[in-house]
Amino acid sequence: MKAPFSPYLSSIAPGLRRLCALLEAHFDSVSILSTDSRGFTLRASPHAKSVSNQTMTTERGTVVRVHRYGLYSEYSLNRFDPQRPEACADAILRELQAQLSLLQSSGVAPYDTPAPDDPPQTLLAEMETGRLPEEEDLSALIGRLSALAEEGMHRGNHLVDCTLSAQSTHVCKLFLTKNRDLRQSYVYSEGSVMTVASDGEKSGMGYRGLSGRCGPELFDGFPAALEEALKDAADVLSAERVVPGEYEIIADPEVAGLIAHEAFGHGVEMDMFVKNRALGADYIGKRVGSDLVTMHEGALAACEVSSYAFDDEGNPAGDVVEIDHGILKTGICDALSALRLGVAPTGNGKRENFEHKAYTRMTNTVFEAGDSTLEEMIASVRHGYLLRGSESGMEDPKHWGIQCIVSCGYEIRDGRLTGKVVAPVVLTGYVPDLLGSVSMLGKQVSVFGTGGCGKGTKEWVKVSDGGPYLKARAILG
Amino acid sequence: MNTERLIELLKSCGADAWELTCDDADIWEFYFIRHALDQNRVRSTRHLGVRVYRRFEDGKYLGSAGGEIPPTATEADASAAIGGFLSAAAFVRNPAYTLNAPAGEVLSDVGAAPDPAESAKAFMEVLRSLPETQTERVNSYEIFTGSHRVRYINSEGVDVTALRPSSMAEVVLNASRGAHEIEVYRKLTCGTCDKAALCKALEAALRTGRDRLAAVPTPALGTCDVLFSGTAAAELYGYFISRVNAAFKVRGYSDWETGKPLCESVRGDRVTLKALAFLPNSSRNTPFDAEGAPVRDALLIGDGTVRRFVGNRQFSCYLGLADSFQPGNYAVSGGSESAEALRTGTCLEAVDFSDFQADPVTGDIAGEIRLAYLREGGKVTPVTGGSVSGNMRDFIPSLRMSRELWQQDNLLLPALTRLSGVHIAGGAGA
Repeated sequence: MKAPFSPYLSSIAPGLRRLCALLEAHFDSVSILSTDSRGFTLRASPHAKSVSNQTMTTERGTVVRVHRYGLYSEYSLNRFDPQRPEACADAILRELQAQLSLLQSSGVAPYDTPAPDDPPQTLLAEMETGRLPEEEDLSALIGRLSALAEEGMHRGNHLVDCTLSAQSTHVCKLFLTKNRDLRQSYVYSEGSVMTVASDGEKSGMGYRGLSGRCGPELFDGFPAALEEALKDAADVLSAERVVPGEYEIIADPEVAGLIAHEAFGHGVEMDMFVKNRALGADYIGKRVGSDLVTMHEGALAACEVSSYAFDDEGNPAGDVVEIDHGILKTGICDALSALRLGVAPTGNGKRENFEHKAYTRMTNTVFEAGDSTLEEMIASVRHGYLLRGSESGMEDPKHWGIQCIVSCGYEIRDGRLTGKVVAPVVLTGYVPDLLGSVSMLGKQVSVFGTGGCGKGTKEWVKVSDGGPYLKARAILG
Repeated sequence: MNTERLIELLKSCGADAWELTCDDADIWEFYFIRHALDQNRVRSTRHLGVRVYRRFEDGKYLGSAGGEIPPTATEADASAAIGGFLSAAAFVRNPAYTLNAPAGEVLSDVGAAPDPAESAKAFMEVLRSLPETQTERVNSYEIFTGSHRVRYINSEGVDVTALRPSSMAEVVLNASRGAHEIEVYRKLTCGTCDKAALCKALEAALRTGRDRLAAVPTPALGTCDVLFSGTAAAELYGYFISRVNAAFKVRGYSDWETGKPLCESVRGDRVTLKALAFLPNSSRNTPFDAEGAPVRDALLIGDGTVRRFVGNRQFSCYLGLADSFQPGNYAVSGGSESAEALRTGTCLEAVDFSDFQADPVTGDIAGEIRLAYLREGGKVTPVTGGSVSGNMRDFIPSLRMSRELWQQDNLLLPALTRLSGVHIAGGAGA
């Protein structure tokens, strides 16, 4: 079925259009993004259950962007009355003028930026989904999750908790300018199983996620995820600490995705080019990885949690080849950075929600596949680790350092898995060295969308990333 | 949706209990590239959070469901949402507990909100007056300042309102030597702008950038004593804060027990952790928590022994803590030695990480080193790259803390904390 566009947004669109017209009398350019995204989060563990109508991306509100004298300004609100757009326009003008008075008295000059083009365009994108979160039988679903959580606790060794979480969001966004009327509606869902084990001396966690641009039908995958999370907790509880050093590694597709995200996801966000915060700006056309490394980024690069039709600035979704056979080709760009750099936007202008500023952000960041099997890759390792499960990562676009915290590593000696497990594992290194050492890639790409991505340490948005199994060399600690 | 009308809907919906939070935010935001204005923003929003409760099986269980009702919802929409919550609550089989009841005087005199222009102006003055040079300069910054007016009401008669000023500056600084340039990132959260504290933090950040340019790869030290400060130290003490949280205890993540020491045979300093109702210029100073319980000072860990758990109403009730609350501010007492004394002997003083983490469940700590000082006798070498790792369970017996204290927003901590036997992976090229 198609995910239907929000009746609420349709009902306020005439009022928003009137607001747009009122503000155009005062500004060179006006755009409005209005959102109405509904969903649910269910959590069940043997200790407690919860039901909420909120997810990371549920929201209802409006952000108005205006441009005048080279300066962009925004006003975020969530009490728009479509019958009284004049009152809203007055509040916007009054508050923004108060800010400008402060800035002028402080001697602050704008970062002069041209007005955007506004080519005529209309779009209604209602994307396919299996089911809708607003129509899901939550009582049945919380029952299923509770039963699986109890089953996990019963079956797991040394388990102190088993929590299942299910979230589904129906995203609806309306983007309006004088010449554009863009509407999109899609559903994405994500689930997780977290197992916590403790033997009195040590604690360990297992984690498995599910995600997709689909409806609550995704949660049929929970039983298999529970099996894996139970094994993960047992593995981690028996793990030893890795001896710090440089090793041959095989990253599983989830860890490969984390490397992609941290290495040349953040590193080529072009708002960082504007601020001279990214070394990548100086490396366009230069080698940053081995010949095997080809990397895509874009809402069209995969069908996952961040696969939309247009971004939060009204630009169409894209699929950018950032690295082609080891050569850095280009970055990704939001609308204002594109105007400042004189390039075309790539559809990567995203907001945490209507209350937040738009930045250049990732969507789906994915390594292309290679032609090796996992067995061939393991057989090629003299001493190293098969790394499984991503926990967190951090980039340093100016210095190209990378930090990835990985759930665990399975030791490989002389081409065989030994059965020894190490955890946790901190993978660090210099990005060109890490990507330059990529020597084998698996045949199958998998993409994961259960995580969130921050800009610095805030501005959280949904992203996905992935790749095939990837063999390289890295420092583990 | 009018707040008073929403209260009426909750009163008449048939729920056994209910609660409503109304959060009005008025925030000013300014974004700069160097010192030129990238964008200015205003945020004026209202968030209405509701939760309804149902008792079932003769009061043995209390189910709840809730979430946000948009202020633009019609009365029919709000009624439908509340009805949906009420239906779902019947399937949420949580052991019974009670909501907070009124405790003393009703707090409703919140006064006028601070002028966001004044705080924003103070932030801008500090950023524009930093001692920049050809090799050390401001790259970009973001300023957020304003306040939240929060009202909490529940079916048991609690009706309290408070005003909470909240500000934040995110600052990126560059340091360069020839063609080599690095950046230092700082996020500073507070109530309103404290110019002196902001200046001090940013001047220290400029020093960090300067020293990082001169840093050599971290040697593969095996294990070493490591000194923690700043946000990494705050993350370390987050481990202690989490493990005296009632939810952590109920879920089995914390094996700590009231009245029992954190570990046997302590060779270093014993940790004392308090919850504080008020900490100067904290962004978390409110007279009540998110469920209307009054916040106050409380001893959580005293001389290395767990004194009590705190947390939200549900999990506190499960632990039998009738007078519990969720603290906003915390203080860790200083140790027995000066910061200078802690710096003696061979140790690695880590001052900047990519993203230092202390997992409160497993106790694992990890972080890539952006800048540390390797202290070997009288020799001090700035190092970069590689990582630290280990587990808090192993570190607590020999943990040492400085007498001097340092405040990060809602946390008052020892300025320096020394952990023994931390695993060190060397940096690339070491």
